[in-house]
Order: sequence, then structure tokens, then C-alpha cells
Amino acid sequence: MSSESKEGEANKDPRDVVDDSCKGPFLFLAFSAIIWLLVYSIFSMLSGVKVHSYGMMVDTAWLSYGRIQPASQLALQYGFLVQLGLAISAWILSHRGKTVLVDGGYLYFGGLIWNVGVTLGFVGILSGGISGLEGLQMPVHVIPILLTGYVLVGVSLVQTNNRRTDEQMSPAQWFLFTATLWLPWILGSAYLLIYYFKAKGVMANIVDWWFMQNFSKVYLTFIALGVCSHFFSLSNSYRLIGRGYALFAFWILLLFGSIGGVSLAAPVPAWLPALSTVTSVFYFIGIVSIWYVLYHMQNGASAEDNISLMRLGLIVFGVVSILNFLFAFPMMGKSAEFTTFGPSIELLFNLGFVGLVLLASFYYIFPHMVKFGLSPKITKIQNIIFILGFMIASLPSALGGLMSGDAVLGSGFYFSSVGDLFLVFASLLLFLNFLYAIIMSIKTCDCLSQLFSKEQAKEVEA
Amino acid sequence: MTIGLSFIMGLVAASVSYFMLSLWWPVAIILGIAVWLAFGLFGLKMDSAFTLLSGAILVFCISLSVMIMRSSDQLSGLQYADTVDETGTEFRYPVPLLGNAPSGERVYRSHGCAACHTQHVTHEGVEFDIKALASEKNHSAVKEAVNRFYQVTGNPASGGIALGLPVGEWETVALGVSVSDAAKARGFLSSAGASVDVQVRFNGEDLEKDNFSNPDGRGWGKRRSVARDYLFVERPMLGSVRIGPDLSNVGTRLNRSTLMRLLLDPKSIRRNSKMPQHRFLFDVVKESNEKGIITIRNKDEQVFYKPTKEAEALVDYLLSLKSANYPLEEAPVYQPFTSSLPKPEEAKKEMEEKTGDEGSDTK
Repeated sequence: MSSESKEGEANKDPRDVVDDSCKGPFLFLAFSAIIWLLVYSIFSMLSGVKVHSYGMMVDTAWLSYGRIQPASQLALQYGFLVQLGLAISAWILSHRGKTVLVDGGYLYFGGLIWNVGVTLGFVGILSGGISGLEGLQMPVHVIPILLTGYVLVGVSLVQTNNRRTDEQMSPAQWFLFTATLWLPWILGSAYLLIYYFKAKGVMANIVDWWFMQNFSKVYLTFIALGVCSHFFSLSNSYRLIGRGYALFAFWILLLFGSIGGVSLAAPVPAWLPALSTVTSVFYFIGIVSIWYVLYHMQNGASAEDNISLMRLGLIVFGVVSILNFLFAFPMMGKSAEFTTFGPSIELLFNLGFVGLVLLASFYYIFPHMVKFGLSPKITKIQNIIFILGFMIASLPSALGGLMSGDAVLGSGFYFSSVGDLFLVFASLLLFLNFLYAIIMSIKTCDCLSQLFSKEQAKEVEA
Repeated sequence: MTIGLSFIMGLVAASVSYFMLSLWWPVAIILGIAVWLAFGLFGLKMDSAFTLLSGAILVFCISLSVMIMRSSDQLSGLQYADTVDETGTEFRYPVPLLGNAPSGERVYRSHGCAACHTQHVTHEGVEFDIKALASEKNHSAVKEAVNRFYQVTGNPASGGIALGLPVGEWETVALGVSVSDAAKARGFLSSAGASVDVQVRFNGEDLEKDNFSNPDGRGWGKRRSVARDYLFVERPMLGSVRIGPDLSNVGTRLNRSTLMRLLLDPKSIRRNSKMPQHRFLFDVVKESNEKGIITIRNKDEQVFYKPTKEAEALVDYLLSLKSANYPLEEAPVYQPFTSSLPKPEEAKKEMEEKTGDEGSDTK
């Protein structure tokens, strides 16, 4: 290393050094996530078209509704949300811990294996290898691949958190660290219980519901809450309001989010749906508590675009939580049972809360990585289309489900296809915007060149 | 954490230990106090990854134990049950899939049919009707029992029924009462020396239509589905959204040719059907000489479709689905008043008369 570059390294802002260490893995995972978002939106639109257009694409089994729909869900949850969540978790854990990303190579390798798993799962579902379970639709052989990929990524994130230089852990770190641990535990347990111990009959469904509940109420919620908590406190100069309430919310959400998820009419012992109702009530107490903390934190936050998007995400989260709380009771829940209400609200949660919060943080982090931000105009347009997309794809369909009842497809489903079309445009714009920024960064500055230079990479690690 | 919040945490910990983990109550209380002290007095800060990890592992074990282990303990003892079919023949239920049906189940799974169809029937409620028979000896005691029942159930105005209670004839005493009220009525009437007859009615959109008790029934089953229905199914495809009808007992509702047509061209069976065509399960042939060929008129020409092996297997599987039709101990079907049923001899005579009438009509 030359003396000049050594001097430059020493004078570098520590935050830039942390950014440099995260750059490669972050861009790799974010790029994969955005591609999967595009794949999701295209296949989700196709599945809607299959319902409206009688006689379209009916000669090939690959494109039957029963295959496209679960494949699109896999792309959304495992392809987009989990990967972008991992990328952002890596960045936040490094910044919060004031340390460089440890073992970044694991993130590349794990991310690669995770993508292979998601691709195999996606192709497996399209070619008819569906498991028949709602939460774990992918073929059985894909789960160990996903698990391996995630564990490799997780090793890096856990190491990074352990080597933090700032002793105190913030709520953002609690949420992100626990989420990082939680997914492999639940995925591994569900796999072992269903396929290794051969859970028979409805026992397999109970394990599947348990997994779905944990995936959504703990894993995805914790990722999004951790991200919100970090960015609100970041724009408040790391000021935390109500640490006690955050601690209370953390344990309540973890405990009661990990139990339940059994629908009211499920053919299982009656105590299981009753338990699910009880845990929903307690979970809601945790939601109120964390809402209180985040509300006060965002009060002092700036009015930047990404913070505004997070605020919108939190509003969506509040609405979804209230609906989930109300519909957990038999009186309300029965009217929504088996209708399109449930999947629509799930979509609203996935895209309107988790997706939006992750995208908002991506918009903030991306310019720090490549020094050539996304085009502000296109970003604004894509955000508007994205918000319109998930609103139109979910709300009319949810309302239609409540009004029409089950076994009848209300007109809300037609609106949902319009929403899907918006989402295709939004994800396409995001993909092109991202690609353009990367290309321009490579062309105009040397900020990405170190990704390809071994010497520089070694320097950063050192 | 404030003392109030930490107290709530302790309360939650004690409740979870007692109600969910079924721990001995003193242990639950000690655990609750320990949590209260940890968060309130000692100010557990969670600044170490070890604290976080230990807590997360504990919660994960609680979650597994409460939901998975407990249900597994309860469900692992499920066995066959004896039941009767429509003709009164006794058999062991559930019946494993036979012949071509297991391959059909694989086809059903691989095409993701569960994305639109559920396979579990629900009911909304159960109601009981009660009839009583009083003799001259116990007439006044039974009248008193009826009055007492209505007083206890908080509906004394209906006690007027007791005034007109006949002697030696069955009289409806209560209509549409709940399980607990039915048990009370039965207890009062039996202790007064009356003969009691109970009719059990289930209602809910999914169940069979009945103009009196279940006018909105869709006929998807005679009872609700229970865990025993899926005893032999590996990863049951219960489904969660009904874009199409429930298929629990589709084998009793539809025949082979209708199911084939539904797969090939659903709109030819129901005009407003949202089900997509499954043409990939059929081969186009030139002639309609073979058995099972389906003809579809496409504008001016006719197209002949022959079901593939996959389609045949799928239909075999669908025809084997008759799960919510037979009574089980934990899920009985509609039970009418036994006093209203014809006596065996009368029924035999009635049947003979009916057969004779039909025979003469045919002639």
C-alpha cells in the first residue's frame, strides 16, 4: 500500500469505512431483491389475468393459476422481502455497532445460495413440485438450500453485532438481531417436523400455520420495526424515547407473535383457534406500545422522502394491526373466513408496511454506497406508482371479500389486477433506476472499482 | 423500564407459565416475580447479545411447546372410528385412498388446486329441540319441571307451554336451545319422570340445506370437518381461500362426466364460473368414437378432447372425497327426534307401499 493511500484511509470518515465494507454484499443482495420484486409483480399480474381471461394460457400446466400464484408469493417473500431485509440489516448492524461488516464474503456466498434456493423453489413450484402447504409451498429439497444460504448470511450478521464497538444495544439492534436468528430456527424446525418427523394429518398444517405466523408476525415485523427504529433515531441524532416501552413491546411481540395463526374454523382441537385469538389480543398490546415509541421518535425526525415513506408504512402497519386484532374475534372473523380479505390484508402488510419501509431505507443507503444516487424524479414517480399499486391491489379486494363472502369472487378482484399492473411498472422503474445508477457510478467515479480490486478489498477489511 | 411496565411483564410471564405451559401455580408466581424483579428492580438492559439470545431461545421453546408439542400430544392418539354410511352399513372411518386416487391426489397437489378450493367444512352453531312425554301419573311434576326450566333459563313467559302440556302425547318443550340449556331441560324433565326426546340440528352455510333449520345451506357436507378426517393424509391441502367451492364431499355431489367437463370447460357447467380451463389435462383427438371423449363446440367446428391419465387420476381422487358425510363421535350429523321416526314395522310397510306405487306408475 502506498503512503498516500494509507493517509487517505486514515483520514476517511469512519462511516465511509463502514459503508465501504457493506458495499458489495449490500448491492448484491439489493440487486437480487429488486429482480425478485419484478418477477413477483409480473407473475402476480399473470395470476390475476388467469382469473379474468377465460381460455387464456390454458394449454400449459406451467401457467396454471394454482402454480403461478404460490410462485409469485415465494418471489415476494423469500426473493424480495427477506433479501432486502438482510441487506439493510447488514448495513444497520454495522453502523449501529460502529464496526465494519465482519466476514462479508459469507454474505456473498450465503446470498448466492439463498438465490439458488429461491430460484429452484420458484421453478419447482411452476413445474408442479408444490408441497400443498400454504406457508412452505416450495418443494421439500429447496428448504435445506435456503437454510444453508441464510445461516451463512446470518453468521456474518451475528459476528458483526458481536464485534460492535458501541456497548449499548439499541431497540433497532434487538429487533434486527433477533429476526436474524429467528428465521433459520423456524424454517429448520418446520422442515424437521414436517419432512423428517413426518407430521401426519392436520399436524402438518399446524406446523405450517405456526411457521407462517412466526414468519410474518415475528420475522418480517421485527425487520421492519428495527429499520424504522434505526432511521427515526438517526434523524433524531440517535435520541431514543421510551426505551422501557420498546423493551416491553419487544418481548410481548416476540412471545405472542410466535404463538397462534390458527384460523377460527380450522379442523383442529378447539383450544388452538381460541389460543390464537388470545395471543392476537396480547400481540396488539405490544403493537400499541411500539407504536407509541415510534410515534414519539418520528415526531422529531426530518421530513425527508424516505422518512415520509416510513411514516406511511407505519400507518399501514397500524391499520393492518387493528384489522388483524378485530378479525381475530369469532364475531368479525367468521365474516372474513375463506374470503379474499385475508390474502389482501397480507399483501398490504407485505408491500405496504415491510416492503415500503425496506425500500425507503434502501433509498437512503444506496447513495452512500455508490455516490451516485437514484434519479430523484424517477424515484418519486416509482414511489407514487408503487403506493397506488399496493393500495389498489389489496384494499378493493379486501373489501370485496368481506362484501361477497366466500366461494364468490367479487369485483374487487378486477381492481386488484390494475394494482398488479401498477406494481409491474413500479418495480420495472426501480430496476432500471438501480441499473442506471450502478452503470453511471462505474463510469463516473471509482467508487465501485474497489469491489473488483482485491487490494482495496483487503485494505477495507484491515 | 418503569415499575408498572415491569409488573405487567411479570404478570404476563406468570400467566403464560400457568395457562399455556401448565406449570404448578407457585412456580408460575415465582417466575412472574423473577421477571418483574429482573426488568423492574435490576433494570435488565439487554445490552448483551447473550441476554438477547437466551431470552429468544426461551421464547422459541415456549412457542414450540405450547403450539406444536401440545397439539401433537393430543392428535397423536387419533385412530379409526366406527361410523355408518347412508345405507346404514357400518364401516371404519377414514378410508385410505385406493386405486388411482393417490396419483390423483398428487395431480391435485401439483396443480395447486388448493389455491382456490378448500377441503374443510365448517358449521356456525348447533341447536337442540326437546320434546317431552308425560303420563297421567307425573303430569303435574312434568309441568312444574317445564316451568322451572324456563325460569332457570331466564325466559319465564314461554313457561305457558306447561299449561297446555297433553297427557300421553309428545309435546315440543323447547326449540333451538343451546347445549347447556338442553342439558338442563333434559335433567329437569327426566327427574320429573317424563320421557325426553332430543333433536340435534347444525346450522351453517357449508352444511346441507334444510328449509327449516338451515335455509342457506350449500350442501358441502353433513357435518363440520374434524382432525380425524385427515388421519391418512400427508400434508392435507386444507386451503384458506374459497374462490371456488369446498371439495370435502365433492365425490357425493358430482359425477365423473361433470367433473371432466368442469376441468375442460367450466363455463359449460356454470356460466359465471371463474375457474380457468385445464385444457392441458386433455388431448385433442380426431374422432369421438372412444368412450369418455368430450366434445366442445368451438365456433362452427367441433373439437374432441380425450382425458389424459392425469385427468383420469384427478377425477378419481375427487370422486373419492366424501369426508364430511359420516357421523363421528366428535362431529355428529343431524339427529332427528326418534319419536318422530316411523317404527321399524311401519317403515317397512311404508316402503312396500311406496315400491308398489312406483311399480304401478312405471307400468
